[in-house]
Amino acid sequence: MSKFILNIIHRPEMVPEYAEKITGHGRAEDIQRKSLLTESLDIFKLQQEIAHQNGFKTTIQMTYASLFNQEAIDLAKEHHKLYGDEIGLTLLGLPCKEFREKYRTKDFCIWMFSMEDKKAIVADVFEKFHEVFGFYPQSTGSYFLDADLINHIKREYPSVICAVATCWEEGPKAYHTTNNSWYTLFDGGPWNPWIPSKANSHVPAAHEGEDSGIVAIPHLSRDLLACFDGNGSNFGTHPQNVLRGMIYKDGQYPYLYNLIDQYRSLERFNGYAYNMMFVGPGWMNKMGRWEAPYELLVKSYRDCMAYYAELKRAGELEEMTMSEFADWFRRNRGYTQPECALWSDILYGSRKQLFWYCDPYMRTCLDMNQCGAMIDLRPYVARLDWPVGIGTRHVQDASYPFLIQSMYRAGFFTHYAGEGTIKSLKVSYEGEEVDLCLCRTRAHYEQTGSTRTITLEPVEIAFRKLSLKITTSFAFVEGTGEILVSRRITDMSDPTARVGLNEYMTACYGTTEYPEDMTGIQLKAVGHSETKEIAYGYMCREEQAAPIRAVEALVPQVSTRVSMLPVGRNMTGYIREGYAFSPMFTLGLCAELGDGEEMTTCLRLEKAD
Amino acid sequence: MPQAGKGRLNYRCPACFMRDLDIDMFYDREKKEFYCIRCPFTGTEEEVIHLNEMARFRYKNLTKRIKTFD
Repeated sequence: MSKFILNIIHRPEMVPEYAEKITGHGRAEDIQRKSLLTESLDIFKLQQEIAHQNGFKTTIQMTYASLFNQEAIDLAKEHHKLYGDEIGLTLLGLPCKEFREKYRTKDFCIWMFSMEDKKAIVADVFEKFHEVFGFYPQSTGSYFLDADLINHIKREYPSVICAVATCWEEGPKAYHTTNNSWYTLFDGGPWNPWIPSKANSHVPAAHEGEDSGIVAIPHLSRDLLACFDGNGSNFGTHPQNVLRGMIYKDGQYPYLYNLIDQYRSLERFNGYAYNMMFVGPGWMNKMGRWEAPYELLVKSYRDCMAYYAELKRAGELEEMTMSEFADWFRRNRGYTQPECALWSDILYGSRKQLFWYCDPYMRTCLDMNQCGAMIDLRPYVARLDWPVGIGTRHVQDASYPFLIQSMYRAGFFTHYAGEGTIKSLKVSYEGEEVDLCLCRTRAHYEQTGSTRTITLEPVEIAFRKLSLKITTSFAFVEGTGEILVSRRITDMSDPTARVGLNEYMTACYGTTEYPEDMTGIQLKAVGHSETKEIAYGYMCREEQAAPIRAVEALVPQVSTRVSMLPVGRNMTGYIREGYAFSPMFTLGLCAELGDGEEMTTCLRLEKAD
Repeated sequence: MPQAGKGRLNYRCPACFMRDLDIDMFYDREKKEFYCIRCPFTGTEEEVIHLNEMARFRYKNLTKRIKTFD
């Protein structure tokens, strides 16, 4: 039997996001408005009813506001008794009269408060929960939880074993979509459940000593291709998000089921598949959401739940509460076991594939439309101490920094001035040069022992006087922070010819679209007999050494050393500095190959200090 | 003309939606048209509905059910 696990979560949010609007409807803000409270509770009841009608138990995440509402409390108790629903506690839904009177703020995102306020709020909310229910919750969450907050919660309330801790790739793209007004800036985390490290909640723990003590789940299961490029809130296991993306016609949304099914298909990489569904009440309010009338909002929720129920009846799905899932996850997953996803486009009608890989040392993505070019790289190995919230250097920006992000830093370059972040291969012959980014292909996945290998179908390179094929593979060796990249030449039209291969990585660092100061970055080409260095100064310099041991960049801003090393043959290495209009650096390894020969390089990530 | 308000449904600006911006439009009752508060788009409800259909041009699999993934 396949293992597809579903978490269904509902929250009685007494002042649902979106439902209270102070502009455009001609009413002043009043979060105690009776009709608002009634409507919100009605939506929660409806969501619960739909889940129970389909034979599902849920996790009810009580909001702080709902802990002051006897009807919501009674419902939670009743549903726990009747259906086995878990009663958890969310740190979403803080706004209410009691909260505003005490904290004198309209802030509502727990990760953005000062640490002092975070502690006070956690104490208030958890103790109120205990007062109401007589026990402490096993599950909690928010759109994002930072490491300091998780550590504090676990220390004070060790009963907590599961938490909603991120929305995948909800960063600058979501901010942009909302006309630069939605401050959920936390790109760079895992897309599927993980055990957060104590140091940084994005980063999976590598061993027990790093274990924060909770299992984290993402808020929604999101399209790993559409969300990387577009608004995350259009493409997830959230029916009304799909409506928001206008991905429906005549009241039908096959994309939603395609998305669920593609998540089910990830079992072949990870041994299990997972979905999380968590729709806030505001998305089903009577006024409708954007173009979608209330009736369609509710229909989409019913239809989605009915599809999950169909899978359950067929023995293809098991729903769990959050704490049940945490127990299952701990029994079945190892710390260094990576999460893999070879993800296909299911919306635009292309054959595009991305391969996502996440372990305690890195998160990365390869794009098969660019012959496996690396388009995202987060150096988890650095385990960055990145406090967030008021009083820290990152009041809102909770993203884990990238070294490569092809959407925010150009990727393969299509205009004349500068470079973009990408890792790829250039092939040259008699003055001509081709970048494999321009070769579209498909990938195949294989696991041998602790090594996961992505092998690409061969691509053809056509020079004026020579044609050849290149087969690329990427080997991810569990627990190393390394990727072995192999390029094999075959089918040369002139078997005596030699071609130049340049395995390169153009990178920088950052969390948004905007450039950061590169000063302080150290580039090094370590040869067998000499070492060349460049201290980044925007001076467009380049150095090389041969034969090379390693080319590397020390990026102190993100405590990371990234290097590329030759494997099994002599190569020339080079380092290249950027300039003000192109704030990048490039590391490269070069070799000359003939027919049937192979070039293997190793990409290594290390904590700098 | 008195101040604008929201229309029957929260229509977003189709021009902005196509550039990944979700911006609610407001309704001018006198002119019977929606307008965007960020870009200069204006349109009747019928025009907006028509343009929203156009905005789906990129979703070539909009109506396709996919069950196999390789």
